[in-house]
Amino acid sequence: MPVKKTEAKPKVNKTGLSDDTLLGLYTNLVKTRMTDERLRKLFRQGRYAGTYFSAVGQEATTVGPTYGLFKEDIIAPSHREIGAAITKGIPLEQIFAQVYARSNSPDKGKSHPCHYGSRELGVIHPSSTVASQSIIGTGCAMAFQIQKKNNVVLGFFGEGGTSRGGWHEALNFAGIHKLPIVYICQNNLWAESVPSTRQSAVEKFSDRAKAYGFPGITIDGNDVALVHKTAGEAIERARNGEGPTLIECLTYRWYGHSEIDPADYRRQEEIDEWMKKDPIARAEAQLLKSGKLTTHKRESLVAEIEQEIEEAIKVCETMKYVEPEEAYNDVYSTAFPVRRDEY
Amino acid sequence: MKKTTFIEAITEALAEEMERDEKVFLIGEDIGLYGGVFKATKGLMDRFGSDRVIDSPISEVYIAGGSIGAAMVGMKPVPEIQFADFITPSMDQLIQQGSKLRYRTGGQWTCPMTVRVCCGGDVGGGLYHSQINEQWFFSQPGLIVIMPSTPYDAKGLLKSAIRGDDPVIYFEHKRLYRWIKEDLPQEDFTVPIGKAAIRKEGSDLTIVSYGLMYHRSMQAAEALEKEGISAEVIDMRTLRPWDREMIFESVKKTSRVLLVQEGSKTGGVMAEISASITEEVFDYLDAPVTRVCGLDVPAIPFAPPMEHFFLPNAEKIAGSARKVMEY
Ligand SMILES: Cc1ncc(C[n+]2csc(CCOP(=O)(O)OP(=O)(O)O)c2C)c(N)n1
Ligand SMILES: [Mg+2]
Repeated sequence: MPVKKTEAKPKVNKTGLSDDTLLGLYTNLVKTRMTDERLRKLFRQGRYAGTYFSAVGQEATTVGPTYGLFKEDIIAPSHREIGAAITKGIPLEQIFAQVYARSNSPDKGKSHPCHYGSRELGVIHPSSTVASQSIIGTGCAMAFQIQKKNNVVLGFFGEGGTSRGGWHEALNFAGIHKLPIVYICQNNLWAESVPSTRQSAVEKFSDRAKAYGFPGITIDGNDVALVHKTAGEAIERARNGEGPTLIECLTYRWYGHSEIDPADYRRQEEIDEWMKKDPIARAEAQLLKSGKLTTHKRESLVAEIEQEIEEAIKVCETMKYVEPEEAYNDVYSTAFPVRRDEY
Repeated sequence: MKKTTFIEAITEALAEEMERDEKVFLIGEDIGLYGGVFKATKGLMDRFGSDRVIDSPISEVYIAGGSIGAAMVGMKPVPEIQFADFITPSMDQLIQQGSKLRYRTGGQWTCPMTVRVCCGGDVGGGLYHSQINEQWFFSQPGLIVIMPSTPYDAKGLLKSAIRGDDPVIYFEHKRLYRWIKEDLPQEDFTVPIGKAAIRKEGSDLTIVSYGLMYHRSMQAAEALEKEGISAEVIDMRTLRPWDREMIFESVKKTSRVLLVQEGSKTGGVMAEISASITEEVFDYLDAPVTRVCGLDVPAIPFAPPMEHFFLPNAEKIAGSARKVMEY
């Protein structure tokens, strides 16, 4: 859940954050992980159509920057940012409704299981064309600047997305106009089956920022405290009119590109090595040590989330699909109804 | 009343809408300091400031995509694509994002945006400054496609587009910019989207066209009139959604129809109009639905005789009309 940035006299722990903030981040990490694992399972059980893009292993890179944003700030996520959607405040009920595509689906069953969005909560529904949300998100930031608003945009994408021409055009424009946007690159080392070394010759993807005239930084994307702090500073700069930042978060997806991908192009040692860097385990260890979290508290948090998930699934599975005629709706404003042929 | 050129009508519409609604802003290449390569945005940066008249880098993807994003959070962008020949990179954004935004979000996000596109041949522009390319957008549900042919419509339709709540691709034929002049009312007016206009009534055949080709069709109709052939001339004005009723009613009356478009024949706008006439009013037809189009070649070639050869003109249109009458 988003909270205000201003905290009363933060007592800072080893991570540089207050225990409260770290617990808030941790709660969102756990919620994201549990939802994600459950959605994978439901897919394998054939309980919904399409496919599912798991972000397990990468949660810190999406939860970290999003936590603490204002409601009026906008996030522009791609396909692997369930953590950002949940942290910006989309209730699990809506996440599951999106995946199930039944009549309670926020997009009325139109788009894709992983395209969670909410205008009210400032989450742009992702679309499948990689990096498009960076371009559109930059446009939102341009509008905020024209409107002289104090809001920022977080643009998310994978390292693969940085190879697209439109992504370059957007960042170039954002640099010229010092737009209030922070770009978060989730570098999980793979774009489907293509390794990051085949995506670009630059050493770090954050080096690309040099070409646009704003700062770029590469950080450990599995350290949620570090991600939150780094993004927080960039967000403050953006709010103060100091322009964009490109933050490359090094991370790793534990599973396939989507649930239908066995991901046999990766070495087992690489996977094992990254699983040891589990972002949740790291935050948890710190919180247990400081006493902010106890095993008992953790169990009740898990039970609470578990119940929320169960309820969301129950609601979705009793829902009908929308009527097929819904296909005709939301093409244009009411001024231009779509013609209906009869066969 | 004063004589206003086609391009002045566009400038006036932009200025008046920017005055009327502070959400309206412009973005495009050379539109600010320079006032546009054809001067459509002349004086607007001085008047409204560089926040609302943005000189963009050469970034057609961003001009379109950034405008979509701005439209999503309460702005009314009017991006300019300097030449239709360079709109192709924007299509990723216009087709994949703009046209689908309302649909793919269950109506949550909308895209009130008007993309001005300078297009068309008969100006010696060569292969890459003469293209029209309206058919790419015509075939995309979710977009509104407009191509005016008179200053009055240019102004009134541009205002309707800007005031509306849908993504509009608004084509401006550059051959008309300074050629066509008209007296325009002083007071505010709009022209409704989706309505064609009967420019000349007739009883023997219907000629349907738009943009520059409307003027060529009118020239042909005047020549035909002298030969005793009475042509009804319809200017489509809006291509998507097109005015089915007006075209069908006219075809029912005349029983013969000639469809004229500047771009290549295959898969063009008139292919759709033709198929629909055949589906809906077949019983009324006394002759095959016939098209006069640009050549089925990649674009309008540069050398003047070839450009002339490519384009439909009054003679070609009149010639085809005679054949339709003889059938
Ligand atoms: C423009 C475009 N090209 C190709 C695809 C197919 N595709 C979907 S995701 C993906 C890989 C994306 O890699 P990256 O940006 O690194 O994100 P990740 O999946 O690793 O999170 C590809 C090739 C697409 N959706 N859009
Ligand atoms: Mg990747």
